[in-house]
Amino acid sequence: MSVSPVSAASAGRGIVAGIDRAPVEEFLIGEALLLDARRFRDWMDLFADDGSYWVPAVPGQKSPHDQASLFYDDRQLMKTRIERLEHPRIHVQTPPSRTAHLIGNVVIEEVDAGNGEFLVGSTVIMVEYRDDAQRLFAGRQHHRLRRAGDTFRIVQKRVDLINCDAAFEAMAVPI
Amino acid sequence: MRNGNGHADEIAALIEPGRIHRRVYTDPDLFELEMERIFGRAWLFVGHVSQVPNPGDYITGELGRQPVIMVRHRDGTVRVLLNRCTHRGAKVVNERCGHAQRLVCCYHGWAFDTDGTLASVPVPEGCGEGFDKEALGLARAPRVGEYRGFVFASLAGKGPSFEDHIGPMKGNIDDLVDRAPDGVLALDAGMHRYVYNGNWKLQLENVLDSYHVPFGHASTVNKQGVQFARREGDQKGAAVIETEKKQTAASWKDRKSFTAGNGHGWTSNTTLDEGKRSSPAYDEYRRALADKVGAERAAEILTPRLHNSLIYPNMSIMGLNIHVRVIKPISVDRTEVNIFPIRLLGAPEAMNSANIRLLNVTHSAASFVQTDDLESFVRAQKGLQSRMTDWVDISRGLGAEEPDSATNATRGLATHEMVVRAQYKAWLGYMNEAA
Repeated sequence: MSVSPVSAASAGRGIVAGIDRAPVEEFLIGEALLLDARRFRDWMDLFADDGSYWVPAVPGQKSPHDQASLFYDDRQLMKTRIERLEHPRIHVQTPPSRTAHLIGNVVIEEVDAGNGEFLVGSTVIMVEYRDDAQRLFAGRQHHRLRRAGDTFRIVQKRVDLINCDAAFEAMAVPI
Repeated sequence: MRNGNGHADEIAALIEPGRIHRRVYTDPDLFELEMERIFGRAWLFVGHVSQVPNPGDYITGELGRQPVIMVRHRDGTVRVLLNRCTHRGAKVVNERCGHAQRLVCCYHGWAFDTDGTLASVPVPEGCGEGFDKEALGLARAPRVGEYRGFVFASLAGKGPSFEDHIGPMKGNIDDLVDRAPDGVLALDAGMHRYVYNGNWKLQLENVLDSYHVPFGHASTVNKQGVQFARREGDQKGAAVIETEKKQTAASWKDRKSFTAGNGHGWTSNTTLDEGKRSSPAYDEYRRALADKVGAERAAEILTPRLHNSLIYPNMSIMGLNIHVRVIKPISVDRTEVNIFPIRLLGAPEAMNSANIRLLNVTHSAASFVQTDDLESFVRAQKGLQSRMTDWVDISRGLGAEEPDSATNATRGLATHEMVVRAQYKAWLGYMNEAA
């Protein structure tokens, strides 16, 4: 009996069969396009009020509370971050970054019917260009999404960069 | 400059009382000389004992560019070994941290004990008659010193003693360690790592630079000129910009800087409203500290005295949102910096979590504060390529320094550049003297 690569890749979490992936993929693509358009406030509004954005600093990091993280923002901190991104004198965004996100390998990994929440895994590649330099970020990201009418709200977005424990040059925009 | 000896006159000519020559930041030959004369012999911060709690625990890193292992031997002592196989030169330990009974080279399997002794060599019958196993242990840092858990090493057998070097900064280390109710710190909450295309001294100078804050960090303040809160329990941050019209900061203008020799220095506290500092985590922490040391001493410990302290040439301690920073030169125009969150043992976990979390906001590679500094360093390195202007001005407050009897140090305003001049005095002391 053969094992499909997709279910092998999500072994232990299991792939949830029979769920329509299209609306979820569309949501993730929409999120990526907001980031590429630097529509950071609209991006923030995708998050639930109790939503958080986490980019761990070590592979497999268990908690943002007992270890350093690259990003760990709740809505309030996200707002402060975005106010800074909009500030005319944010030197590290003069000139601003241009980014291109590519989202793929989308797998719905868990469904919590009771709370109307999904855990969605996807692979993200982000190319960033700024001030004559181009660099590449890549990793697996997980969105915990909550149904909100005919769309979703992000309860948590976690991005595990493959080089999360590397030394980085300044990172100003979210992955 | 290439032969590495002498050059005293040439080097001395780079440093004047209120200015330094651009070559100090841009000349690769001078960088090589710094690696030999400063990083090859100064007392350098290596790590903290909490990073290697048990025998066999190790961390690896670099002193200057030389790879080292800090490892706890089975006798309980912390050793600093050069991470270079005595056989054919391979780096022996490749992991950033870990645990091992023996340190085994991947290339031919030479195995070293955790005190550096060469324990075994595969196929020993191949070794010649003169093979001296005892002489082939991993090289050891000739001198190692520790103060309240902070481990320093010098790669030179001779020079100022650890006591002479660290003495003036013991109070600054105490200031941090005493904040732990148990009187012990742990640097076990990971680290922030960032790099920039600029000289290592740009970061060093910045640590005690209070002049740049309202300008370099303009993007971190709100319309009232107030920065976001950086400490657990603060309702708001420091007033960084006085008014929109006058781009200077009252609290920053009044701050003092201090230097006490050896290139070390520190800046006084940021003006914050201590009376209003309160949150469940902070209040519980304050009680835990008072339970251990008494209410009076706890109040003294919790009254901020220090913002940043620089232990020349590779480490700083921040007292505001607490952390330890280590500066690692890579090349004349590339530097890595590691920033370690600190857990105060005996403090409630919620307090330690808050400290860890706030450090993400200020000093991660994706933080609100550090990123604008990195941009300034990168632009300085680019600007310094100009050969039409040779000198960098560090003259603010020249002649305005005064003795501070309370701290046995020299005092100036934190928006002055006394501390930068003190760093170059120490720099010249190391650089003038052939190794």
